[in-house]
Amino acid sequence: MERLEKRGTEGFWQRTAWQGRIFSAYFGQFVKMRLAYRMDFLVDTLAVSFSMVIQMAVLSVLFSKIRALDGWSFEQVLFIYGFSLLPLGMFNLISVNFYGFSDKYIIGGKFDRVLLRPVNSLIQVIFESFNVSGLNEILLGSAVMFYAGTKLGLEFGVLDLAVLMALAPAAALVYTGVFLAITSVSFWHEDKMGLAPPVYNIIRFSRYPMTIYSLPVRVFLTFVLPFAWVAYYPATWFVGDQQLPWLALLTLPVGLVVFSGAVFIWHRGASRYASTGS
Amino acid sequence: MSDSLIQVRGLTRDYRLTKKREGVTGGLVDLVRPRREILRAVNDVSFEIPTGEMVGYIGANGAGKSTTLKMLTGILTPTSGEVTVGGLVPWEQRLQYTRHIGAVFGQRTQLWWDLAVVESFRLLQKIYEVEESVYKRQMETFHELLDIGDFLHQPVRKLSLGQRMRCDLAAALLHGPRVLFLDEPTIGLDVVAKENVREFLREIRDRDKVTIILTTHDLADIEQLCKRVIIIDKGQVHFDGDLEDLRVRVGQKVRLTVDLRESVASEVLAETTTGLPVRWETAEGNRHHAEFNRSEVAGGEVIKSLVNGVHVKDLHMAEQPIEEVVRDIYRQQKEPSA
Repeated sequence: MERLEKRGTEGFWQRTAWQGRIFSAYFGQFVKMRLAYRMDFLVDTLAVSFSMVIQMAVLSVLFSKIRALDGWSFEQVLFIYGFSLLPLGMFNLISVNFYGFSDKYIIGGKFDRVLLRPVNSLIQVIFESFNVSGLNEILLGSAVMFYAGTKLGLEFGVLDLAVLMALAPAAALVYTGVFLAITSVSFWHEDKMGLAPPVYNIIRFSRYPMTIYSLPVRVFLTFVLPFAWVAYYPATWFVGDQQLPWLALLTLPVGLVVFSGAVFIWHRGASRYASTGS
Repeated sequence: MSDSLIQVRGLTRDYRLTKKREGVTGGLVDLVRPRREILRAVNDVSFEIPTGEMVGYIGANGAGKSTTLKMLTGILTPTSGEVTVGGLVPWEQRLQYTRHIGAVFGQRTQLWWDLAVVESFRLLQKIYEVEESVYKRQMETFHELLDIGDFLHQPVRKLSLGQRMRCDLAAALLHGPRVLFLDEPTIGLDVVAKENVREFLREIRDRDKVTIILTTHDLADIEQLCKRVIIIDKGQVHFDGDLEDLRVRVGQKVRLTVDLRESVASEVLAETTTGLPVRWETAEGNRHHAEFNRSEVAGGEVIKSLVNGVHVKDLHMAEQPIEEVVRDIYRQQKEPSA
């Protein structure tokens, strides 16, 4: 009898390297495709730059009226705002296929194709499209942080840089986890609009110091919809009274837990898809 | 335990459907108490396929063909029953299993819509970890057999249906799968394109001993490719055996349409084919219809005697569609005397 032997790389690191190669192949293709539509690319870049300028203008107008916000100076708030753009950009870069997932993949039947390939279904869905404007947000965020940090006279050591490099991706995991969980609902319900837009709007709350909100809102943003972890808590490592540096570092486990939970829900959904065939 | 590559035992699959009531009030009632119904799409299907066989899996729309294929490819989990392919259970060892199979679902492309064909292949090469030398050799084969060289650098969305199908086939075979699942591989193709696809499938079956299961609506696909057919209707297997056996059991009914130059009485027309097993039906003006069975009489003979007897303006012969073959099989099982 013919037996199908094991094929493909084995071992955790080899498989990770393989997935890395797939990522660069997908990403390379995506960039190539974007460049092929040259006008599109140009208009997109212009639009994103324009919206960044507008956002900056709004902020400076806002703070030309209000010099401080509940004990937080303009520069401190600006720093938190800048920080919030880093994980948001990372999240936006990889989350395009979360939107309209139900339409494209479940109803449109693309998920069948995903299941036919020997790659983790979530990895395939994430890799199949990117949003380059995410890179712009990362750039803008860095610039804003640098400006605010200089104004505040922050001392930025190697440790701080390492913390930044760890906390920004962890915060991105919080975003990704929340929206991944919402996207996974499509496996149970063919929902067109869904929860994503209202939740996306709540992100705005996360860009400001939590202390300006009432207790219920703070509890909600910390434990229920954990957007407090995408900017405020991690940024307290750098600005504010710095009484609780461990709180900032807590972003790391929070990000991992939220994301792992969402991945678990995703795979439950994917196996449900296989068992309902809807 | 037998040693066939593909073993399917008691495969069953239910779908749970929610039936919608009519009107606004119906919608409200649905909200509170949905009407659920269970539809058995595949019912206790069993078969075995040895390495290198090409099997036609046929049945009418909604007979359960695609559902079976989805279970065999690991996309769908069955309600009950077992499937092993080369010792693997498709839906349980999906990531390992999919490295060994290729699939083409005729209606949808597996390729990336916006990418040039060759870029899609390169991506698949990385995904399936196909070595460069193997990749080159495979591409040469595809050039030679499928003639895809001309549009390799065009985006998939700009290809014609026939071109796309050839690319899809190539993509499904790039990683050297041992089993190939084809769902309507010739649907919507013109005669030349169909012939190309069939030629290619014959080639890879004979050369690489790839085991192939294909569903189709086109009897010619089956006739030219498969020795063995499995007929499924309402989720159950109604026939599993040689194509020759199928012919013996149902014959090959042909429907003949004849346009005459002048009005001729039906009896006169029927007289021309006296002695031949041809059944004439009622006429519509100068257009007449007849049915005969190719296993009893050759088409040429019928036409010869017809043309000798009356002035034929035009004639047309049509094979019995697959749905009718299936219906005949079904009927035979209900009335074993037939």
